Amino acid sequence: MELRKTSIHQAVEAVQQGEITAFELIEKTLKNCSVLDEGLNIFNSIAGIDALEQAKAIDQKNEKGGNLPLAGIPVAVKDDLCYGVLPTSLGSAAFNEFMSPVTAAAVERLMDAGAVVIGKTNLDDMGQGSTTLSSPGGPTVNPWQAERTAGSAGAAAVATGICMFALESDSGGAQRQGASHCGVVGLRPTTGRVSRYGLNTHCSSFARVGITAFSCENIAGVLDILSGFDERDAATAVCREGITEISKIPNSDKLTIGYPVNAFDFLEPELREVFEKARDEFAERGYKIAEIDLGLLREGLQAYYVIALIEASSNHARFDGIRFGKTGESEILEEMYQHSRAEILGKEARRRSIFGTYLLSKGNYDQYYRQALKVWKMVRQEFKKAFDQCDLLMLPAAKKLPRLLNEEYSFLDEYFEDLFCAPVSLSGMPALTVPAGQVNQLPVGMQLVGPPFSEKTLLALGSWDTGTGPLSQE
Amino acid sequence: MNLGQGTCPRVPRVLAMKRVVGHESWDKGPVPVSQVSKDERKVIMKYEVVIGLEVHVELLTKCKLFCSCPNRFVSEPNLNTCPVCLGFPGTMPQLSREALNQALKASLALNCEVALYSYFDRKNYFYPDMPKGYQISQYYIPLGSRGHLEIDDDQGKLKKIGVGRVHMEEDAGKLIHETTGGIAIDSSMVDYNRAGVPLIEIVSEPDLRSSGEAKRYLEKLKSMMQYAGVSDCKMEEGSLRCDANVSLRMPEDEAYGVKTELKNMNSFRAVERSLDHEIKRQAELLDQGEKVITQTLRWDEDKQQTIVMRSKLEADDYRCFADPELVPIELTAQEVENARQNLPEMADERARRFVKDYGLPGYDAGVLTSSRCLADYFESCLQLFNKPKEVSNWVMGEFSARLNNAGLEADQASFTPEDMAELLKMIDKQEISGKIAKEVLEKAFQSGKKPRRVVEEEGLLQISDQSELEAIVDRVISENPDTVENYRGGKSKALGHLVGQVMKETRGKANPQLVNELLVKKIDG
Amino acid sequence: MDDISKGLEKAIKVIKIKVSSSEQEQLQRELKEFLTWLEPMLLVDTGQTEQQFFGHDAVNVLRDDHPRQSELAELQEAAPKFAGGFYLVPKILE
Ligand SMILES: [Zn+2]
Repeated sequence: MELRKTSIHQAVEAVQQGEITAFELIEKTLKNCSVLDEGLNIFNSIAGIDALEQAKAIDQKNEKGGNLPLAGIPVAVKDDLCYGVLPTSLGSAAFNEFMSPVTAAAVERLMDAGAVVIGKTNLDDMGQGSTTLSSPGGPTVNPWQAERTAGSAGAAAVATGICMFALESDSGGAQRQGASHCGVVGLRPTTGRVSRYGLNTHCSSFARVGITAFSCENIAGVLDILSGFDERDAATAVCREGITEISKIPNSDKLTIGYPVNAFDFLEPELREVFEKARDEFAERGYKIAEIDLGLLREGLQAYYVIALIEASSNHARFDGIRFGKTGESEILEEMYQHSRAEILGKEARRRSIFGTYLLSKGNYDQYYRQALKVWKMVRQEFKKAFDQCDLLMLPAAKKLPRLLNEEYSFLDEYFEDLFCAPVSLSGMPALTVPAGQVNQLPVGMQLVGPPFSEKTLLALGSWDTGTGPLSQE
Repeated sequence: MNLGQGTCPRVPRVLAMKRVVGHESWDKGPVPVSQVSKDERKVIMKYEVVIGLEVHVELLTKCKLFCSCPNRFVSEPNLNTCPVCLGFPGTMPQLSREALNQALKASLALNCEVALYSYFDRKNYFYPDMPKGYQISQYYIPLGSRGHLEIDDDQGKLKKIGVGRVHMEEDAGKLIHETTGGIAIDSSMVDYNRAGVPLIEIVSEPDLRSSGEAKRYLEKLKSMMQYAGVSDCKMEEGSLRCDANVSLRMPEDEAYGVKTELKNMNSFRAVERSLDHEIKRQAELLDQGEKVITQTLRWDEDKQQTIVMRSKLEADDYRCFADPELVPIELTAQEVENARQNLPEMADERARRFVKDYGLPGYDAGVLTSSRCLADYFESCLQLFNKPKEVSNWVMGEFSARLNNAGLEADQASFTPEDMAELLKMIDKQEISGKIAKEVLEKAFQSGKKPRRVVEEEGLLQISDQSELEAIVDRVISENPDTVENYRGGKSKALGHLVGQVMKETRGKANPQLVNELLVKKIDG
Repeated sequence: MDDISKGLEKAIKVIKIKVSSSEQEQLQRELKEFLTWLEPMLLVDTGQTEQQFFGHDAVNVLRDDHPRQSELAELQEAAPKFAGGFYLVPKILE
C-alpha cells in the first residue's frame, strides 16, 4: 500500500477487512521513517516498539469487531504536543529526555480512534518560528530541494509519505507555511474547534492544533475526530459537535471568493503570478471573485508579535528549573533561575521572553500592548467585514519560497514572513492551506480563509487541486 | 442555602467573648482597650491613624481553584498536586464553579457591587512557591467592589468601613527553610499542596483609625465569612491572613502620610499588637522630626517587634495582563440577585432573631451568635429543651468555659446538644440541683458519658424523700444545739448554716428547698 | 545609557535569564530595530476601538467540584532536585 496514494478511509477499510494488519502498516511506516528521516531531520524521536505494540492492540480490537475510525493509521505529532510515551522536547535541548505526565487531548482522541503515533516532529526553539531554523536539533530539510528548509517537519513527514497525516500546532503560521513549502494541505481550525490541552504554547491567544495531510478528504476525517468540547480547554465550549464528511464541492455560482488586492503587492512577481493564476482559474470555473480590502496586514502582523512576545514572556516563566527540565547549578536562588532559564530557552526564545517583558513593563504597556490589543480588534473587524462581501477569501501562506539553509537573515526578516498568516491568526477564523502552483520547482501554497466553523466549505473547495506533492511528480 | 449546611466554621472562644454586636439597641460588651500606656497614647493622639487591611480568605471548596486536586490540609508534602497546579507544559487552568459561587457569596455578604463581566489576569513574578511564574488573580476587574461592613468605633458608635474590592486568586505553595539537619541544609524545600488553593482577597478602604478598629473589622469579617459559609477562617492555620497598611497624619491633613506595610500577623492579638507597635514607632519618628519611609515590615511574634523585610524604592511591576487561557465570567443581574436572596443568615441578623424570637437579652444574643458554631449548638439545644434563657445561661456559661479550657469548638465537643437538653431536663424536674448539674456537665464533658449515666453511676440523684431527709435533719439539729439556739434567738443566718450541714451530709444531693422546710418545721414546731 | 537599553537591562533582570554581554549588546541593537519595525502599528488610528482581550468567544466555562488525586510518581520524576517529598531549591535566606 502506497500511503500517499491511499486515502485514510481506504487504508482503514483495508485494515478492518484484514487486507493488511495495523502491525504490518506500522512496521512498514517505521522502516520508511528511518530511511527518509536520515537526510531530512524530520523526527526528534521515533516510537519503534511502542508503536508496534499499539498496532498489535489495534489488530486485536479489530478482530473483536471494534470499528476504530483510524485503525492503524500512522500519525506524526509535533514535539510541542505532549505525549506520555515518547519524550516531549518542546523545542528545548534541556527537554530532550522529558517524559510528560500529560498527553495532549488531541493525541488522546487520535489514539482512542486507533491512530498510532510514529514519532515526534522537529520544531523551532520552544516552538517559536516558522522555519525550524532555530530548532536546537537543526532544521528540517525540504523534501523538494535539500538546500532549503521544510518550514515544518510535520509537512515534510506527510510530503514524503512517511505518514498519512500530522498533528501540528500553528500560532503565527508555522503549520501553514510548512504546508505551503512542502506542497501539502494544512488546516488551522476555527478557534475552539480542537482542544489545545497538552500543547505547550508560547502564545495561548493564537495557538491552535492543526492537521496536515495529503488531501482535504483525509483532513476532514481527522477533524471529525478532533472536533468538540473538552473541559480542559475552556475555549472549546463554543464547539459541541464535529463535522461529518466534506460536502460536495460547493456550487460555483453560489460562492464568492474574496481577493484582497493589496495583499499580493507584498509578493515578488513570480509568486504573485501563482495567485493571479489561481484567481483566474476560480473565475473560469464560475466562482465570483470579489476584490476586497485587507488594509491592516502589516500592522496586524506587528500587533501579533507584540502580543505573542508578551504571552511568551509569561508562558515560559514556568521554566524555572524546579519542577521539570534541567536546573542550572548554583547555590544562590537568583543564579539558579538565570542559569536554568538560559539553558532551557534557546536564543530565539530568550529574545522573545526578554522583548515581551520589555513591552509589558510599566510605561510601555500603553504604547505597545494596549495599542496592539486595539489593532487586534480592528483586524478581527476587518475580516468580519470582508465576509460581508465574500464567502471565502484567498491569501498567500508564505511571503517567500522556503529559505535556503545557509542564508543569512535577521530575526525581523523571519517575523515578516508571517505577514499573511499572523493576521488570520488574529481573526480567529479557520484557514486551509492548499497547493496553488509552483515556482522554480518549489510548491507554493494558498490560504483559503472562511468565517468561523466554515471548515466544511473550505475543505470542499480545497479538494479541487491537491495531490501535487513532490513525489507524486515522479 | 440553609443554615445548617456545610462545614461549621470554628472560632476560638476567647475571641467570641470579646465580640461586640454591631447594633445600637443591644447591650454592648466592653470595647477592648489596647495595651498601650497612657503616656504613649498621648503621643499617638496627636496624629490620626490611618489603617487599611488586605485580608486573604481561603474558600471552602472541595477542589483547588483551577484543577481538581483536593482543597484540604494534608501533612504529606506535595500530595495534593497535579500537572495543572504544578504548571506543567501544556496544561491549562479550569475555573471551579464552586469557588466562583463562594466568591460571589462573599462579595454579596460584604455588600459589594458585583461585576457582571470580569476575568482573570496574570500577575507575573518569580518565586519558587509560584509554579507558573505568575499568579492568576483578578487585577483589572475584581468580582466585588465598593462594599462595606459595620463595626463599632472606639467610642462605641457604629461605623461603616469601606470594602474596596473582593477578588479571586490562587494561593502559592509553601517554602520551608530548615536550619539544621533535615533533608538538605543548603536547600530550601517547596511544598505545592497549597498552590492553587482558591482565595479571595478583601481589601478595605483606609477607613480604620485605630488598632482596635482594625481588630474589630477583622473579627467582623471573619464572622461574616463563616456565616456565609465561605471560609472557616482559621487564622492560626492560615485560612485567614491579614496584611496591614499603616500611616499617620495630622488630623487636619487631607493627604495621607507615608505608609508602611505590615505582614505576618498570625493571630488577632498579633494584629492589634503589631499595629500598636508600628503606630508608636511612626509617631516617635514624626515627633523627632524624622520621616517614615515606605517599607514592608514583618511582625515577629516572639520578639514582639517588627523587622524590616525590604524597603521599596519603586513600586513592583507585576506586568499584569488578561490570562488568555481562561474565559471571562459573565453574570446576569438576575443571577446576582438570586445569589443575594440565597445568602445565609448573618450574625447580626441571627442575633436580632434570637432577641425577637427567644426573648434573649441582647448581650446573650451577641455572645451566642459570635460564632456560627455556637449559635447552631444553642438552637439545637433549644429544639430539645425549649427554655431559651436557661439554655443560653448554660451554653454561654458552663459549656463555653469547658470548650475554652479544652480549646474546642462547639461542634467538636462530645457533649452534644442532646446531652445538654438531658441535663437541663433533670434540673427542671428537680432530679438534680444546679450545683450538681455543673459537676455532671464537667464529668460528662470529660468522659463523653451521657449525663444521666454520670448521675446514676455517681449516685447524684437529688434526695427528695422526706423520711430519708428527716433522719438527717434530726441528727444535724441534735449535733448543733448552739446554732439551733442562735436561730431561735432571732439570728436567721444560723438556719443557713444548718442547711449547709445537711447538704454536706448528703454530699449536696438533698433537695435544698425541702431541707429548709423540714428544719424550720422541726425547730419551730 | 539610553532609555531603551535601560529598559532592556531591567527586562533581562526581571525575566531572570542569564545573558552574556555580547548577547546583551546584540539584543540592544535588535530591540531598537524591533521597536522601529513596530512603528506602523503604533500609528494606526484606533479611534474608539476597544481592546481585544481573548482569542476565543467562550464565557463561563466552569468545572464541577469533584476532587481527584493525581498519580504523583511520574510528576515528581520530572523534577531535577527532589527529596523527601519536597522540591529543592537553593537555600533562601530570609
Ligand atoms: Zn492540581
